[in-house]
Amino acid sequence: MPVPVLKQGSVLIASIQAALSDRDLVELRDDLADRVGRHRSRGVVIDVTALDVLDSFATRTIRSIAYTAKLRGAETVVVGIQPEVAFAMVQLGLSLDGIETALDLEEGMALLQAREAERVG
Amino acid sequence: MTDLVKESSTQILAREMALTEQSVERRRRIVGLEPDDLARIAGIREVVLAQVDHFASVFFDYLSGIEEGRVLTNNRALTERARELKRSHLIAMVGGDYGRAYAEQRLELAVLYGRVGLELRVFIAAFHRLLRSIGEAVMKSTPQAPLEAFASFMALKKIAFFDIGVIVDAVVFERERVIRQQQDAIRELSTPVLQVRARLLLLPIIGVIDTHRARLITDSLLKAIRANRAKVVVMDVTGVATIDSKVANHLMQTVTAAKLMGASVIVTGLSAEVAQSLVALGIDLTTLNTIGDLQGGMDEAERALGYRVVSMDPRRDGAPLSPG
Amino acid sequence: MSDSVVVPIERETDIVCARQKGRALAAAAGFLSTDQTLLATAISEVARNIVSYAGKGTVTLQTVQEGGRRGLSIVASDNGPGIENVELAMRDGYSTGKSLGLGLPGAKRLMDSFALESVVGVGTKVTMTKWLR
Repeated sequence: MPVPVLKQGSVLIASIQAALSDRDLVELRDDLADRVGRHRSRGVVIDVTALDVLDSFATRTIRSIAYTAKLRGAETVVVGIQPEVAFAMVQLGLSLDGIETALDLEEGMALLQAREAERVG
Repeated sequence: MTDLVKESSTQILAREMALTEQSVERRRRIVGLEPDDLARIAGIREVVLAQVDHFASVFFDYLSGIEEGRVLTNNRALTERARELKRSHLIAMVGGDYGRAYAEQRLELAVLYGRVGLELRVFIAAFHRLLRSIGEAVMKSTPQAPLEAFASFMALKKIAFFDIGVIVDAVVFERERVIRQQQDAIRELSTPVLQVRARLLLLPIIGVIDTHRARLITDSLLKAIRANRAKVVVMDVTGVATIDSKVANHLMQTVTAAKLMGASVIVTGLSAEVAQSLVALGIDLTTLNTIGDLQGGMDEAERALGYRVVSMDPRRDGAPLSPG
Repeated sequence: MSDSVVVPIERETDIVCARQKGRALAAAAGFLSTDQTLLATAISEVARNIVSYAGKGTVTLQTVQEGGRRGLSIVASDNGPGIENVELAMRDGYSTGKSLGLGLPGAKRLMDSFALESVVGVGTKVTMTKWLR
């Protein structure tokens, strides 16, 4: 099941709906890389609220989405990591170094807006 | 009435210890009890039943004869109850049925030993005396076939070791229960997460941090971040006496987990000694946002959230108090 | 003797299936939500290991009892190429395939007990258990 991606202004929002497979994630990565360039997006929000597991593969793919987006000129924010999921991730030894995180979609959008305001000056 | 209460507490213990028909079967297999053994035990049944009182006395005489045994034998009422239980134990030992009910019956004596503080090594020594006198009686009963008698006694000994297994497990389980309860109490007391302002949490950490406690701290912090929509957390470690590489690692994990949820963490209260020892140990905490004292940390947190604290007392806002 | 589920792992969508079944079984056994997530994550790692290195295998989930405690045991086994250097595979950051190299040592950290047996050319078996507190 592919992940739906919404465009809101200069921001792309990918809301992951349910337990997704490795393939869905890889497709999301390619899809986002393509769209960031096409829409000249300045920000990407990946909403993982519905995910109950973020294992090493998912974390690695999200990280590569963020780095790819960065090279194409967009900042990525991962939002909605659940307490249990964050806990399991650190136990596993995973982190999202260098990638912004926020509590939920609203916070993530606010964070990107603040970044954009800084950039414009 | 008291009997009823006692019975049910034994049943509860059996359930908590997961003393099921399957696990009891496993216990029988562990001591190597086989159909052959049951036949042999049946063969010496009368020998044991004929002297039940004598064998029970051997057990309690041994206990009253040594210092460590008197915690039980000085208590007359409990000793009477224990003697009764020991008699029915001996009868059941040669009864041929060693299922769940048999194992459960062993628990009552175990609980009684635990209550008076009879040490396991003392119980085991007394039980050994008892077994020896049963062994002697069995050998005497068939002087013409000593090998036969020995084999029968060894079959009974499997039951004895089955019993010891149950009793040791029960005493250890009870002892661990006390530890578990204390741990729970300490845990609840020691990991408060306080909301200071909207979106600002204070996490004071006091005492020793081990792996288990670090997990609990992290767990409750993450849930509080979600519940309070916190953006900044001030983690005060003034009350943590020593921070070694392991503790530092735990703290780093807590900070990383909070960060994953979008909250930033300010660490305060690292004393000069702790800071120096961390440097000496080569532990890198430079990725942490650290501020000397709690007050400074709170100021920083409030700034990060866009608060500005202004005193309502004009004398204290900028203008120093005049002396006198 | 108790609830046991065997999940065949043949393609990557089976990884999701295995961890969902694991979570359900953990919930039924009385694990709190934090531990359910730890278990689901560990299952995800070992199941992915099968897909990445062996192609196919099974994940067996079973509630277990031992002494006074209850737990969930997970056995991931395959008839794949096996792991040449088990010690190296358990070291953080080691990976020959397409993962972070955190899979097995990471799963070990999430569980209470963890054993890895592997014979080159025969297969790999990971047995791990988490106990209820």
